[in-house]
Amino acid sequence: MIKFERVSKLYPGGSRALADVSFQIEPGSMVFLTGHSGAGKSTLLRLVMMLERASRGKVIVNGRNLSNCPDRLAPAVRRSTGMIFQDHKLLKDKTVADNVALPLMIAGLKYSDIRKRVRAALDKVGLLDKEHAWPLTLSGGEQQRVGIARAIVSMPPLLLADEPTGNLDPNLSRELFSLFAQISEQGATVLVASHDLELIRLTRKRVLVLSNGRLADDIPASDGL
Amino acid sequence: MSSDTWLRRIRLKNRAWLRRHSYSFFSSLGVLLKHKIGTLMTVMVLGIAMFLPLGLYMTLTNLEGMNLRQDEWSAITVFFKSGTTQKDVNRVAAELDERLNPEAVVIISPTEGMADFRDASGFGESLDMLEENPLPWVMQVSPQSGPTEQVEAHVGELIGYLQSVDSIEVTQFDYKWLQRLGRMMELGQAAVTVLMLLFGLAVVVVVANTIRLDVASHAEEIEILALVGAGNAFVRQPFLYTGLWYGLMGGLLAVLLLSLTTLYLGGPLGLLLETYGTVFSLRGLGFNNTLWVLSGGSFLGWLGAWVSVQRYLRRLKVGGRLGR
Repeated sequence: MIKFERVSKLYPGGSRALADVSFQIEPGSMVFLTGHSGAGKSTLLRLVMMLERASRGKVIVNGRNLSNCPDRLAPAVRRSTGMIFQDHKLLKDKTVADNVALPLMIAGLKYSDIRKRVRAALDKVGLLDKEHAWPLTLSGGEQQRVGIARAIVSMPPLLLADEPTGNLDPNLSRELFSLFAQISEQGATVLVASHDLELIRLTRKRVLVLSNGRLADDIPASDGL
Repeated sequence: MSSDTWLRRIRLKNRAWLRRHSYSFFSSLGVLLKHKIGTLMTVMVLGIAMFLPLGLYMTLTNLEGMNLRQDEWSAITVFFKSGTTQKDVNRVAAELDERLNPEAVVIISPTEGMADFRDASGFGESLDMLEENPLPWVMQVSPQSGPTEQVEAHVGELIGYLQSVDSIEVTQFDYKWLQRLGRMMELGQAAVTVLMLLFGLAVVVVVANTIRLDVASHAEEIEILALVGAGNAFVRQPFLYTGLWYGLMGGLLAVLLLSLTTLYLGGPLGLLLETYGTVFSLRGLGFNNTLWVLSGGSFLGWLGAWVSVQRYLRRLKVGGRLGR
């Protein structure tokens, strides 16, 4: 699903975010990405989202080589990827349902279909009763779940999350991680960047460890650290 | 792939396109209605900007429509030498008619001339004291009507011929005035063109600036849309529609202002022209021109929005600041 071949990323000004990173993630698996802050987690996700281009090497997502993919296809790449942000990135002047509906609006679906799928996505994250609420009236955990509903509403084959538990208490974090596991069991590939090592150990999934832009470790799933 | 599935795909794509557009269409209108005061002020600026060249244009159209008694202005009055007989006059008239085919030739005999003069001047009885009629034979020649340049050329020919006839004493014409008026109208039309260009540009700039502020206040929303996979077209659409609405409403206001002005000026102007003996009613913009103003305004608004959004979209490209 995701394949990095000797990928390096240099930002203008010369700071090196990623150096010679190679790995592969199989479809339908759930993988954690961890490392100290500034290790290159966000840059890696940005490359997969086609928000950045690799300076060297190949980034292949869903069979498409993003390194030579023209700019105008970036929106299509992002549409086939669900992204969850640490700061939620919700529209404050739109209701929860309208926020979740955005990817479907962009795809130009029928209103009745959009409604159905929005409700299904909200149901999955347990927020069906907040359909008409405004994002700012929700707690941090609820807002994060709205973000997740938005990411999964178009049923993308790939789900990315950047520090999704950043501002949540341990209980909520655990709930969130089990939600991700559930989503991946339904067939989606899930890549979660997090520095919550405690929780990552508990889930017993594969873990990629970045350190100073290099892939320092690749711990396979289920060997109960 | 069979042609059936192809057609189905195209139809689905078209439908998705339509839905996206209807979404932008209504959301842009909603945004405008939400900010009533701001919208109103922008629309007023646009309306007045469009009204000014339109007003001048309508003034010129009406001046042209008045015709300013072109026939009278362009008529040539010919005075024959004393002692010319009716036969001579008729011959000259017939020859002129045959050679240059003017619109009309009216011959006024000294007797008719005296009668007219008696009526018009009020010298009635004192004129009776004259032993003989001192008035000459007179001929009024009207050129063929038509576009200004044609009339000019025709009048030139007529005068050239008349001046070569021996029995004619004087040839009088007021055509220079008409020429001058024609030139002034041309100047006015050039001014309308310049004003239209300038104020059209003003409309684009005003809308561009308004949309620029609008875009800036929606920066967060645009970023989020782009992050969840909206293409440039989707981000641009609501703003383009907003620009279109601005232009259309500005155009409507301009048309409204123009109608009110016509209504308001129509009465006094009619009274003024009545003293010149002209019956006249102000012409309005008319259906076709109204349509032109509305579609032109909409286009200019759309263009202004496009210029503004396009500048902003460049910042959202890959490797930009998106999502930071």
